[in-house]
Amino acid sequence: MLDRVVVTGCGAITPLGLTVDETWKNMIDGVSGIGYISMFDTDNFQVKIAAEVKDFDSDNYMDPMTARYSDRFTQFAIAAGKQAAGDAQLSIHDSNTYDIGVIVGTGLGGIESLSRQVNVLARRGPSRVSSYTIPMTIPDSCTGRLSIEMGIRGVNLSLISACAAGTDAIGMAYRMIRHRELKMAIAGGTDASITPISVAGFQQAGALSRSQEPSNACRPFDAQRNGFIMGEGAAILVVESLESALERGVSIIAEIVGYGATSDAFHITKPRETNEVAAKAIELALAGVNRDEIGYISAHGTSTQINDISETRVIKKALGKQAYDIPVSSVKSMVGHMIGAAGALGTIVCCKVVNEGVLPPTINYEYPDPKCDLDYVPNIARKKDITVAVSNAFGFGGHNSVLAIRKYNGK
Amino acid sequence: MNVHTTIKNAICKIAPGTDESKIVPEADLAKDLAIDSLARVELAMALEDSCKLSLSEDEIEEVVTVGDIIALLESKSGEE
Repeated sequence: MLDRVVVTGCGAITPLGLTVDETWKNMIDGVSGIGYISMFDTDNFQVKIAAEVKDFDSDNYMDPMTARYSDRFTQFAIAAGKQAAGDAQLSIHDSNTYDIGVIVGTGLGGIESLSRQVNVLARRGPSRVSSYTIPMTIPDSCTGRLSIEMGIRGVNLSLISACAAGTDAIGMAYRMIRHRELKMAIAGGTDASITPISVAGFQQAGALSRSQEPSNACRPFDAQRNGFIMGEGAAILVVESLESALERGVSIIAEIVGYGATSDAFHITKPRETNEVAAKAIELALAGVNRDEIGYISAHGTSTQINDISETRVIKKALGKQAYDIPVSSVKSMVGHMIGAAGALGTIVCCKVVNEGVLPPTINYEYPDPKCDLDYVPNIARKKDITVAVSNAFGFGGHNSVLAIRKYNGK
Repeated sequence: MNVHTTIKNAICKIAPGTDESKIVPEADLAKDLAIDSLARVELAMALEDSCKLSLSEDEIEEVVTVGDIIALLESKSGEE
């Protein structure tokens, strides 16, 4: 028999706050976390704005030695992971440590540390490159550090699927717990890629907004959208079997009731024009769900021309006429694109939505695009009781990953 | 700046959080100061930079205590 899987803890470090609660409050208030880039000099860049995490202090979560030799993406994950474990009242000891896994997705891994050391190599030669270059840079340095920091001895996996990585990490944890390979996992996503090389790379790919006005640059589904805004941060959940959560007597935040993942097999950056493959991911995630219960979609909603049209079509293809009755919003309008953390934050948003009965808005929505004709919860949060919420994430490489979250009603 | 202070500064830079009072000549780098093989390479680079000299891999590997580093740096500066 397959286990049911629930969420018992959430943690987040985002451009809107250093906890889930602070982030959520700002989302509901429609606050923008986007500003001029302060992390490097943008003089030669067409792109000037991003959604930076503000006032993050690693000392609150780890010792100075760990912080010094952990890339920012790892530091964010350690912080969000410890918040989630605290939220879930998780205590890890000899008798349960092998039943717990750590599965965290990232898009660009330790790109900041890598860039720094490439500069050292160029300026001063190989003998000056840090001995910690590889352990700070490789994508799994994050789960390695999390496992050490938390004493987790079960499976340790870093999942790499671009902007869908956080969703896939939670999806992988869901499947492993469902099939009783694990009782529990620290799962989510993290990225810290507001760095010259990654901003330049996304700029050259034509993906980023060149807007000079931070307050309204990110406008998902609006006719005047012109690219995504680079964000950063981490979103981590404690995912566990219903049985384990009941045994521990902890409060259950929500149930994960489906995960669907497909690959476009089409183009390395563009979504497949016919949209049926991404729609299939939604259908798979909703395979065990009564369609009438679907009340909200946390959109990938990047604010690029192509994503937002494509995602609108995907939702319509998967849900038919029902799509017009389901509110869809993009919190990226406020937090920017947190890359590997984006889908994990979307999942936390879905957990909040089913519990609080409030939908976060898509801010900066002014000019309707006839090709984006769904209900995007424009500008103002909305009260609505939701039973099932869906979190979409898509990524370069053709990733389409979707999670379905159900309100837990004690049964 | 004397050699001991130079070493203290280098250790505090590469291993932040180290208790400075433990950085004494008889302190064992691995056992007392938790400087592992990776941190040892960082320490060697920091010392090379601050003392403007170069340390070979063998020299770095042979060092056990803070006192050994003091002796090594003093012998190196004597060479120049």
